[in-house]
Amino acid sequence: MSEIVFKAVTKTFRLPRGGEFLAIDTTDLRIEEKEFVAIVGPSGCGKTTLMRMAAGLEFPSSGSVEVGGKRVVGPGPERAVVFQQFALMPWKTVRENIGFGLMCRGAPKAEADAAIGRYIELMGLSGHEDSFPHQLSGGMQQRVAIARAYVMNPAALLMDEPFGALDAQTRIVMQEELVRLARRNPRTVIFITHAVDEAIYLADRVVVMGRKPGRIIETIDIKPLRAEGGWEEMPIEEVMDTPAFTHMRSRIWKLLKAREQAAADH
Amino acid sequence: MAAGNALLRPSRAVLVGTATVLAVLGLWWLATSGLRLLNPLRLPAPSEVWAAFQQINGRGYAGATLIEHALHSLGLVARGFAVAVITGVPLGLLMGWSRRAEALVNPIFLLLRPIPALAWIPLAIVWFGLGDTGKVFVIWLTAFVPSVINAFTGVRQVDTILIAAARTQGASTAQVLRHVVIPGAMPMIFTGLRLSLQASWTTLVAAELVGAFFGLGRVLNIAGQDIYPGMILVGMAAVAVCGAGTTWLLGLLERRVLNWRPAV
Repeated sequence: MSEIVFKAVTKTFRLPRGGEFLAIDTTDLRIEEKEFVAIVGPSGCGKTTLMRMAAGLEFPSSGSVEVGGKRVVGPGPERAVVFQQFALMPWKTVRENIGFGLMCRGAPKAEADAAIGRYIELMGLSGHEDSFPHQLSGGMQQRVAIARAYVMNPAALLMDEPFGALDAQTRIVMQEELVRLARRNPRTVIFITHAVDEAIYLADRVVVMGRKPGRIIETIDIKPLRAEGGWEEMPIEEVMDTPAFTHMRSRIWKLLKAREQAAADH
Repeated sequence: MAAGNALLRPSRAVLVGTATVLAVLGLWWLATSGLRLLNPLRLPAPSEVWAAFQQINGRGYAGATLIEHALHSLGLVARGFAVAVITGVPLGLLMGWSRRAEALVNPIFLLLRPIPALAWIPLAIVWFGLGDTGKVFVIWLTAFVPSVINAFTGVRQVDTILIAAARTQGASTAQVLRHVVIPGAMPMIFTGLRLSLQASWTTLVAAELVGAFFGLGRVLNIAGQDIYPGMILVGMAAVAVCGAGTTWLLGLLERRVLNWRPAV
């Protein structure tokens, strides 16, 4: 079991000049096993902080985060993280970067090599196995980071704006590939983004967050739309042209805008 | 075009470098032998330096041949430098990784650091005499500092997101240190090694000037007492060649260890 449950989570930061800042107000969120949830919201809404709490890289000020029924007390290989800045070790080759977690786990070499080879092929990295990260484009580097996450066979995948540093074309290719990958290897996924399109296209459910203080405004089910529209059989640009998609996009935009307005008036 | 430039650039640099050296040698010859502008007791002519070079290679000077002096100095630098690196780099890594270690060591370090190498030499002579041990000790003290500081800075500059990423992949603290922190600090560690090596040569020559039985500093010291400018220049050139040679060797090692860096 690998459902992710946020129970009455808050996060406050102490300000350098005294006083406290409420980054996340009391938040409850349950992500079911093998559900793909995208969290959208403006900078400063606490979406990345929520993900980092599930990763065990940050901790709630009150409340709790549980993954698979166990309270998160630190990072662990069953919760793989994909960072916006790729976070590849520059001194390790593509193969060594992908295999690092397996090596830490002490996986038998033959088994590790087979798994690494499978994901190198799946992510279109063949021929770059012995390259160093600086020899690859941003898109290729993020493919390595995604392969590195999947190769651990994690129960949950936590992605923090993984395509945020990529150019528009590369981004679209990666979004399509992630859909393909997620269908082939369903996992519990938290996908952080500020791109509404990306959230609707990728996720089963979109969580919309606002700021001041950070909290969930609304949670929207996308799965029925995708099934009805047959999105998974269509190229991304056609999906984004369907009335159902554009309607959903404006609905989320209105939610975000209304919340920003309210925060500004406050 | 770009490929042509890349091919041309190194050879052009070599040509310019060679031309500069030849020009300086030419000016030297003109100023001393050609036009006799300078008093040979101030700056000897190339022929006198050559004669001194032949003398120290054949009969020897200050108790040994040039090769013997140079090897003696090289051996001391190698020992002092090695001890400094073996002790300094781990201490710097520890201070960079652990705030507690930093708090413990830093005050002593800050007090010792401003003392110049030369100021240690009298104490080293009192403790160890004029033999090798005192010189290795003084080289260690001065070469130690850049190794520590740069290893420390290197650890502090390691991208924290790489450490976080390693932890999310299940790396233990030992694995984080071995695979993330130390490789990440390595470019700065090498900067420290280069500075330590320079400090080793500076300190060694200073220590041998004060008192030694062999070595390039001893050659310089005796040549000074004999008012023998040709031999002084031979000694200085030998220090330059040894220093440049060891720096070049370190550079080879650096390129091999840091092969993952983009070419500059």
